[in-house]
Amino acid sequence: MKKQTINFELNGELVEVHTEPSGSLLHLLRGQLGLLGTKEGCGEGECGACTVLLDSQPVNACLIPAAKIEGKQVQTIESLSNGDTIHPLQESFVEKGAVQCGFCTPGMVMSAYALLKVNQDPTPVEVKEAISGNLCRCSGYKQIEEAVLDAAEKIDQGSRED
Amino acid sequence: MSYIIASDLNQALQILRDSKGQARVIAGATDLFLQTLPAELVDLAGLYETTQLEETGGLLSIGSAVTHASAARSLLIRSQAAALAEACAMIGSPQVRNIGTIGGNVANAAPAADAAVALVALGAKAVITDIAGQTRVEAVEELYAGYNRSTIDSSSEIIGRLLFKSCAAGEGSAFMRFAPRRALALPLVNAAARVRVSGRRIEAVRLVAAPVKPAPTRLFETEALLQEVIPGPEIWPKVEEAAAAEVEVRGSMLRCSEQYRRHLVGTLAGRVLKEAYQRACAAEGGET
Repeated sequence: MKKQTINFELNGELVEVHTEPSGSLLHLLRGQLGLLGTKEGCGEGECGACTVLLDSQPVNACLIPAAKIEGKQVQTIESLSNGDTIHPLQESFVEKGAVQCGFCTPGMVMSAYALLKVNQDPTPVEVKEAISGNLCRCSGYKQIEEAVLDAAEKIDQGSRED
Repeated sequence: MSYIIASDLNQALQILRDSKGQARVIAGATDLFLQTLPAELVDLAGLYETTQLEETGGLLSIGSAVTHASAARSLLIRSQAAALAEACAMIGSPQVRNIGTIGGNVANAAPAADAAVALVALGAKAVITDIAGQTRVEAVEELYAGYNRSTIDSSSEIIGRLLFKSCAAGEGSAFMRFAPRRALALPLVNAAARVRVSGRRIEAVRLVAAPVKPAPTRLFETEALLQEVIPGPEIWPKVEEAAAAEVEVRGSMLRCSEQYRRHLVGTLAGRVLKEAYQRACAAEGGET
């Protein structure tokens, strides 16, 4: 397939890329745009390591043809930190020991981030549901669940102090 | 050589016409994307016409590009077609459900596609338009040409929407699946039922299980056991036995052995029927 020009919003910035339309969004992000935070695990929608937000919804970047993102908003793990400070979710993942090898972490964080955008006070069941499309093969899921609940509390406290 | 995001159904059909069999329609493409993609693609996922969900005169119309996530969340589907909401909530993962579509679940023609199984139990028909401008309406279970093969030609035909009667007073539906894990797992067996009651007596019943044949399969003999019956506790074990005996299943490396699959068909058939029946009785009393 010959290359097409695609315009979309990436982490708040408008970008234009000239790319293979039926290549995956994942390869566009990692290869052409150099955003290596999004991981390639299985490459077939089974592990969630490549989770990014497409118009605020978590999706597997490995299953999205690049041309599908025309005119849409894509948000990756890179958008959560400004280089100096990290997102409360990232803090909680560190503090609660929710990271071992770290390969699933960006995807986990993005799924949790999508949850907290629409549900600031999730129950443990809602957290489990939100990360049910993300596999972690080292830590088990308990610490991850605790980290997400902890971050929700932090964000809630932060908003009360504001 | 192109990927075009269609702006409406007519434009999509025009592109198919112009491409003379080269272009194919896609929606979520969560399954197709893992195979070799055709050179020309027409993306239907964002069309207004294919993403509407509405009820008019007791008929539910679900756009073919409604995602599994929107269907599972929809109050209309949850109240009027519980089986479909339950099926859509179990497909793949949250990420897949945000992209995968109901029409795609049918057109991909996998033998135990959760949404398709629920649609067959609900009695859904697909409204299909071809490049000649002809529209046909066909029962979902008639759209299977073989394992993972649809009768729909995606280079010349488009499923616009799926239609079925909403579950009114005295009607209920349910879907269940058994899988090795609660997320990201293919079902070993899934089943769905729709039941209509009058004064607790079963007046109409549809029971579907998969994977039994290439298409989601009605279990007519088991359905017949419940026709015009006021079910008591003694009926459910008989229903399970009948459903397990009725299906011709085979074992597979991907899923499970023949015996286990037969056992699961029986158990799930009993459970979905009982659940759909209880919902129908509750709906009859106006307790939905």
